[in-house]
Amino acid sequence: MPKLTINGQAVEVPAGTNLIEAARKVGVEVPHYCYHPALSIAGQCRLCMVDIEKTPRPTIACNTPASDGMVVWTETDRVKETRKSIMEFHLINHPLDCPVCDQAGECWLQIYYMRYGLYDPRMRDEKVHKPKAVPLGPHVMLDAERCILCSRCVRFCDEVTGTGELGIFHRGDDSEIGLFPGKELVNKYSGNVVDICPVGALTDRDFRFAVRVWYLDSTASICPGCARGCNIEVHVNRRRPHHNEGRRVARLKPRFNADVNRWWICDDGRYGFTFVDDKTRLVAPSSREDGAVSDATWEEAIAAIVGALGRFAPAEIGVFASPKMANEDLWALRRVLEQCGIRRVAFRVPPPVPGDEDTLLIRSDKNPNSRGAELLGLDGDGAAILRAACVRQVKCLWVFGHDLLASAWDPAETDAALRALSLLIFIGTNSNATSERAQWVLPAAAWVEREGTYTNFEGRVQRFRQAVEPLGQALPEWDILGRVLQALGAEVGAPRAERWFRELTSGVPAFGGMSYQAIGDTGAVLNAPSAGQPRSEPASRTPLR
Amino acid sequence: MTAEKLLTRNFDRADSHTLRAYLETGGYTAWQKAQTLEPAAITEEVKQSNLRGLGGAGFPTGTKWSFVPKNHTGPVYLVINADEGEPGTFKDRYLLERDPHALIEGMLIAARAIRSPTGFVYIRGEYVEPWRRFSAAVGEAYDAGYLGRGFDVVVHRGAGAYICGEETGLISSLEGKKGWPKLKPPFPAIKGAFGAPTIVNNVETIAHVPHIINRGAAWFASLGTKTQGGTRMYSVSGRVTRPGVYEASVAITLRRIIEDLGGGVTGNGRLKAVVPGGSSAAILRADEIDVTADVDGLRNAGTMAGSAGVIVMDETVSIPEALMVVARFYAHESCGQCTPCRESTGWIYKMVRRIVEGRGQKDDLDTILDVARRGAGTTICAFYDGAVGPYISYIEKFRAEFEALIPK
Amino acid sequence: MSASTVAFSDAQLAEVRRLQALYPDARAALLPVLHMAQETFGHISLEAEEYVAGLFDVTPAHVHEVVTFYTLFFRQPKGRHVVAVCHNLSCHLAGAPEIIAHVMRRLGIGVGATTDDGRVTLQAVECLCACEHAPMMQVDDRYEFGLTPEKVDQILEGLR
Repeated sequence: MPKLTINGQAVEVPAGTNLIEAARKVGVEVPHYCYHPALSIAGQCRLCMVDIEKTPRPTIACNTPASDGMVVWTETDRVKETRKSIMEFHLINHPLDCPVCDQAGECWLQIYYMRYGLYDPRMRDEKVHKPKAVPLGPHVMLDAERCILCSRCVRFCDEVTGTGELGIFHRGDDSEIGLFPGKELVNKYSGNVVDICPVGALTDRDFRFAVRVWYLDSTASICPGCARGCNIEVHVNRRRPHHNEGRRVARLKPRFNADVNRWWICDDGRYGFTFVDDKTRLVAPSSREDGAVSDATWEEAIAAIVGALGRFAPAEIGVFASPKMANEDLWALRRVLEQCGIRRVAFRVPPPVPGDEDTLLIRSDKNPNSRGAELLGLDGDGAAILRAACVRQVKCLWVFGHDLLASAWDPAETDAALRALSLLIFIGTNSNATSERAQWVLPAAAWVEREGTYTNFEGRVQRFRQAVEPLGQALPEWDILGRVLQALGAEVGAPRAERWFRELTSGVPAFGGMSYQAIGDTGAVLNAPSAGQPRSEPASRTPLR
Repeated sequence: MTAEKLLTRNFDRADSHTLRAYLETGGYTAWQKAQTLEPAAITEEVKQSNLRGLGGAGFPTGTKWSFVPKNHTGPVYLVINADEGEPGTFKDRYLLERDPHALIEGMLIAARAIRSPTGFVYIRGEYVEPWRRFSAAVGEAYDAGYLGRGFDVVVHRGAGAYICGEETGLISSLEGKKGWPKLKPPFPAIKGAFGAPTIVNNVETIAHVPHIINRGAAWFASLGTKTQGGTRMYSVSGRVTRPGVYEASVAITLRRIIEDLGGGVTGNGRLKAVVPGGSSAAILRADEIDVTADVDGLRNAGTMAGSAGVIVMDETVSIPEALMVVARFYAHESCGQCTPCRESTGWIYKMVRRIVEGRGQKDDLDTILDVARRGAGTTICAFYDGAVGPYISYIEKFRAEFEALIPK
Repeated sequence: MSASTVAFSDAQLAEVRRLQALYPDARAALLPVLHMAQETFGHISLEAEEYVAGLFDVTPAHVHEVVTFYTLFFRQPKGRHVVAVCHNLSCHLAGAPEIIAHVMRRLGIGVGATTDDGRVTLQAVECLCACEHAPMMQVDDRYEFGLTPEKVDQILEGLR
């Protein structure tokens, strides 16, 4: 482990660490554009110059590994002058169109100009002109004039996705990033090039012109799009609700987690949040009688559920929990089931087409919490429940979120099962063909509207936090189920997600000893032996009592 | 100082490019001798000869060879830089066309020194005739059994890019990519072509090697100066009576090159300026030519020997116009990889052109000088520093001429 | 150009494989194969780039990077002859601007253009390294030295 000093501070780093990372370790920022820790070293932007004692001139930090005894200075006069020069070179052909650029506010040309540039512009000749507002694919827009040719996007497609769609064409100041003419940037991770673009060259078509970034609030969360549980930030537009047609969630961004998703998320996850604000959202409890739908109060809805739970024998009740529910919800559900003695429960509903999967992030299981549902003992036979419904052994069906009519199961048989029911209760965020058939429909808060935890396929328990208020009267499932429990006469504590989690940790050994504090922002791994490896048949699952 | 010709000795023979002519004039005897020498002994001989790279950088050749890791087990490659492109230089064209076997023999010896099984000769794409001539010579050498017995030569054509004369740009291009120079470290001798240790040498440099082996390092060193041995081929062009390629000791002065070899200045007959080492070398005024034209002599004169392309300008030449032509070249040939070079070569060309076209502004000259100085030394390769040489020297040495073009 | 016209013959494909085998990494044969493609197809169309990419383990974007980087690759159909006049320093000092202007007048086209009859494409190029014969130009594979307007006329007339 080489020991060196940076601006007089001693630091020891693993062999091979470059000077940007070594400096980061002692809180020293070395400005850079082309360097990205996930990508190969390009050394193109020339901004990360530092002074190394016994070296005749400033050296780029990205391509310099720390070595023992090295004495590095990042703020010498000549380093400052060099940075200022490099900033000028980066900006002479830049259009300086910040007022109409989506990147404004999170642009590293703006940030570094203010920190390290502040020169008086001298460029008075015609700038080089290049293509503008070029759609590269469904998600990414290119403005080649704003591009500083750092090649991060090119290296991302070469090295991370291995798809190699992008290149730098021509040469000199005609150099320009782009696609092979006629091709599209359609890899499953294309949105990441927008994140790693340090300037306004690559912008997000979905987010473009929606809202200025300085109006956004950011909340740490977890992507609910598959079993990976990529760490994300939810960016919410609270302060300018009239912008972007009232859409509250403006965008999702990856949040670094070395053990889960590193810097990336897939496009399906990134753009998979539109259900939060769309027209199918359920905003109030409602009941349907003879085809007529009428809004109800939560009290009426809870009373109806409790009534049903009393009216039907436990064996006549079937429950479809959802692997999209949080651990807290599933624990509350399990308590309801135990309270009532209900044993017919399942959570897996096979999708009509199997999910896609790759070796980078994407998992074929498109649910964030299948592992949690397994561990909580909810992994029953869903098809058997429907079969039981067909023969009227099950008369009351309680469905969380699923659309049973859009599954791999035979729609005619499912339809027959639903027809045969005496009562169908649906709890979910959005309406679907199954909810349309329910006598009671209860609105659940979407994941960005509440707190909770998911357990990913590798057994990592991760927290997501509330970014916006629930829409309408929607409530988290744990809250709905807590009210049901209370009405059933059970002991229920304060209505907080964390309390439900604490209860879960004492009830399910795999979660033993965990806490929201310990999970923090990067998650915590389940207790052995279940930790680490995914399995289809969880050995550690606690059977229903 | 010697008038003896080594590299150009056969140029007058019409068949100088053939194996027969080469053998008749002592060809491949050095290779016979080299095969009796240990690789390290060959390198040591070349070190002692004070042979320095004749492509531009002037790096000691033997020292470069010694950088190949001793205990390396995989292949080592010898790459010949025949991507001649430095404006004002045309010597390698002559060697490829008129004495290709000298290069092949030099490669055989160099390959033995660095233990390389394969040599790649990268010839600029525009050099069609030199490529044909050299390829034919390679064919002869295979037929005669010089090649193909432990050492193979692959002739590779470039496709039009000055930057491929930069050794790591050349390697990128040889690997089938854009000619983007590579970050150093690692240096090519450690990790070069195809990830293997690689020695890149200029054509003329390698063509000298058989003479060193045949006649000894001491003899070769004695032909030149204290720090550089041998002769080299001066490409003389511009406003001189007899433009052409001339072999002379590296200890010759610039004045003698212009007056004796080039036959003196044409135009109005009075020298105004000379570029001594290809367009990337800083320009010298008429009163600065009494210097030896070796690597260190010209470095001490504030310029460089470079590729020994001597471009002569008489008093009627417009220096601003000359700089515009040179600046256009660097803007056109910048590979675009690193920011300072990519952005400022174009900018500086625009400023110089504006001045030449009578649309200059008072502070343009200071801006050019400041931009050039600020960009110097900040890039991956030496291309930009090569551009900075003329930017700064043309303006500093002939500033009044530029100022005269700027409207008051 | 239809898909079927952008394809090498079996003999050429064998040559591609031979070239690829010359190097430690087959990709190194990209420039030689692009030269072949240009000779065969006249210029390197996007279709040809994709075709060549398919012969190597590279994406079309990577081939496009290479083709757009080098000046000797023509991405549009060129004339039957390419006249490339050097306009670098030594040729400039020897009157290259006048030579270029003369060729433009003779051919009735600007630099970078091709005559309407598809006979000649005119280029102004950087140093071809034959400065001792300035002003000079390259006509297809040949260097033409010591140009004067009269000599240029003669050369142009010889181009059919």
